[in-house]
Amino acid sequence: MIHNMKKNSNKKINNLSVFDKNFKEILTSQLVSISGGLIAGIVLAVYTDKIFLIPGMLILLPGFLEMRGNISGSLASRISSGLFLGVIKTDKINTPLIRGNILASFLLAVLVSFALGTVTFLLNFLAFRIFTPEIIIIAIIAGCLANLVEIPLTLLTTLYIFKKGYDPNNIMGPFVTSTGDIISILSLLIALVIV
Amino acid sequence: MKKVTEHLEKLKGTPRKKHHSLIDEIHTEHRISKKTLFYIKEYGPKSNVPRTIIRESVLILLLASAVSSLGGFALERIKVTFISLMPLVVLLPALNDMIGDYGVIVSSRVSTMLHQGKMRKNWWLDKELRKLFLQILIIALITTVLSVLVAFFASKFSGYSTSIYTTLKIFFIAILDVLIIVNILFFTSLKAGWYLYKKEEDPNNFLIPITTSIADFGNMVLLWVLVRLLF
Repeated sequence: MIHNMKKNSNKKINNLSVFDKNFKEILTSQLVSISGGLIAGIVLAVYTDKIFLIPGMLILLPGFLEMRGNISGSLASRISSGLFLGVIKTDKINTPLIRGNILASFLLAVLVSFALGTVTFLLNFLAFRIFTPEIIIIAIIAGCLANLVEIPLTLLTTLYIFKKGYDPNNIMGPFVTSTGDIISILSLLIALVIV
Repeated sequence: MKKVTEHLEKLKGTPRKKHHSLIDEIHTEHRISKKTLFYIKEYGPKSNVPRTIIRESVLILLLASAVSSLGGFALERIKVTFISLMPLVVLLPALNDMIGDYGVIVSSRVSTMLHQGKMRKNWWLDKELRKLFLQILIIALITTVLSVLVAFFASKFSGYSTSIYTTLKIFFIAILDVLIIVNILFFTSLKAGWYLYKKEEDPNNFLIPITTSIADFGNMVLLWVLVRLLF
């Protein structure tokens, strides 16, 4: 009887082991990540008539949102590695390595924005016979605006988190995706107003 | 100690592409981590930092953008129906983030398990993998249900009203979309990871770009299919 009870309780523990430390960590980071996505989605829904007025915006949008995470995520990861290796110091921002990282991230963003705009323009023209060259300009302006905010924000947050004794690798992923989404949608809106 | 600094200065001063053997030498002789030496090699004074970063990242970034654009192209074809379903518009960035994140989590965990020799060919015999699969599925369900609820609440607040039938269909689309993509990501990671490992390649370098591209493209295409089928 006691043996059976022990067996049952072991079974219960095994079943419960799905909800372990990893489960909590993944769930928490996901909740942070989706909260940014949802805020961005709400902004998108509120300004649907403006954002989706230009043909091809749904082609541009997914790549544009992903670009932020890819570029700033890699930047945060490179800075974190440098911090852990002692090559980058939290109190010395104006170094060739950090300047190089900022410049590379910005140039990559401009290049990818241009590519995204061009692909959108071509797909629009070839599939729907709609001629919208302004989508390339919108993509570049929005890319520049988003990065002017996102790159310094990523850099300073990574340095701050490390200075406070936390591992930026665990925090910067969800941070970059959530802030990136909001900043990207707002930049797109501003670019639409400008163009 | 002087010899270490001399060695490191030599490493810093050597052109970027020419000092792999020196890394091994310094690592063996002075027990400095290869990661530190690699970082010094990649971003030393003789290396053009922006050029190195751009050259190594540009192709994969352009490829990822092209894949995402193709996914977006599927949605553009049903634009009118899609934007009339406000909760789905609210959900779009969150779904993209969520699914991409699951791709990264599964890929990195599978890569680590392969390197540690913890993974078997028949994954269902592996307790740790079964647990990871269950964890991701449960978390995906929780976060999707929460996201859909927030999306409906936000839409309602903006004056959007809909029938219970449409509400259920949107719930169904979001949950089915996430569950199908999570399954595809999991099995792709396992199969591709195992294949790459057997070919003596590092799965870390391939799995994340593969799974994130599948996540982005798959999510858009699946949304397109489900919206077309149900609306």
